[in-house]
Amino acid sequence: MAEKENKKTPDVQNWNSVEKVIFERRSVRKYRDKQVPENLIRRVLEAGRFAPSAGNCQPWKFIVLRDKEMINEMERDVIRLCKVFKFLMDWRRPGLIGKIAWLNAQVSIRLMPNKLHPIPFGAISLIADGKLGVFHGAPTIIFILKDRRGVGNPDLDCGICGQNMVLAAYSLGLSTCWIGFAILLAYGPKWKRRLGIGFPYELVEGICIGYPVGNPNGIIPRETHEIDWYEHGEKKTMF
Amino acid sequence: MSYLNLIERLRIPTYDNEEYATTGRVRIDHEKCNGCGMCAMICPGNALYIAGEGKNKKAYLEKDFPQCMSCNNCAAICERDAIIVNVTYDFGYFYKILHRGEMKPPRKF
Repeated sequence: MAEKENKKTPDVQNWNSVEKVIFERRSVRKYRDKQVPENLIRRVLEAGRFAPSAGNCQPWKFIVLRDKEMINEMERDVIRLCKVFKFLMDWRRPGLIGKIAWLNAQVSIRLMPNKLHPIPFGAISLIADGKLGVFHGAPTIIFILKDRRGVGNPDLDCGICGQNMVLAAYSLGLSTCWIGFAILLAYGPKWKRRLGIGFPYELVEGICIGYPVGNPNGIIPRETHEIDWYEHGEKKTMF
Repeated sequence: MSYLNLIERLRIPTYDNEEYATTGRVRIDHEKCNGCGMCAMICPGNALYIAGEGKNKKAYLEKDFPQCMSCNNCAAICERDAIIVNVTYDFGYFYKILHRGEMKPPRKF
């Protein structure tokens, strides 16, 4: 277990070990250049294998990438694609090109309001400008593929499976980050062919795993969310 | 019951403009900050930078539209407790944040 002196909540509250892992784990975007032992990755994958899924359909397949050359090539391709998207949609440029880009962005955002939410929209330009990494120098990457024939909502099952893996990884002293931008690789034929992604599989997420630089984990404040609570015939609202 | 009115539903804000978008903001305690640069390194939005020489080396939030997503990674990595998110992001209109309260660390009930 990655131990850390808990400076944010000095009266060290007695979280149990699972709560501790959940609260302390942070997404890490800077990794040391040190490969994770194979057995630890296998243990993480085992945690994913035992995730609950609708109708026990287990609609996932994993691809583990530990080849540095390959990861670098992927990173270059994602950056190239982000540059294309930035060129098409960055309306902060003057003149006619800017106007066309503005129109393009307005249409695309309405078609894909989640994928082009302001946060990933900003991330696209940061990645294109080389200010934000894609795989952050992680030595190991796990791709989660969903089986499109799964029961109910296979995307959700893949998310549950990934969360199991991420928490298991943190409990083993590893750091992780979900890489949604990995799906850009499946937009073209090159990586689909190289990784053998075809029907019924579809790339849904990447998780990078490695040892962090510094100690980025710890308990932080988060927004509370409104909760409607129905009990004894009345409704309460709480945070 | 509707949470967004029709205008809000149809209007996607032009979020390169601060008039429509509030980005996250951090409070940096320059008494405690020693300019080690860990926060600037870990920030996913590239919203922090280090400026100054020697003892005056401190972290600052980008002045021109910092792309802070209020993740608090900077607060978690800071060894000296010098930085914390005090404003969370909100993009207004279609993307406006609903039903959230103030920021709190995990609570025990």
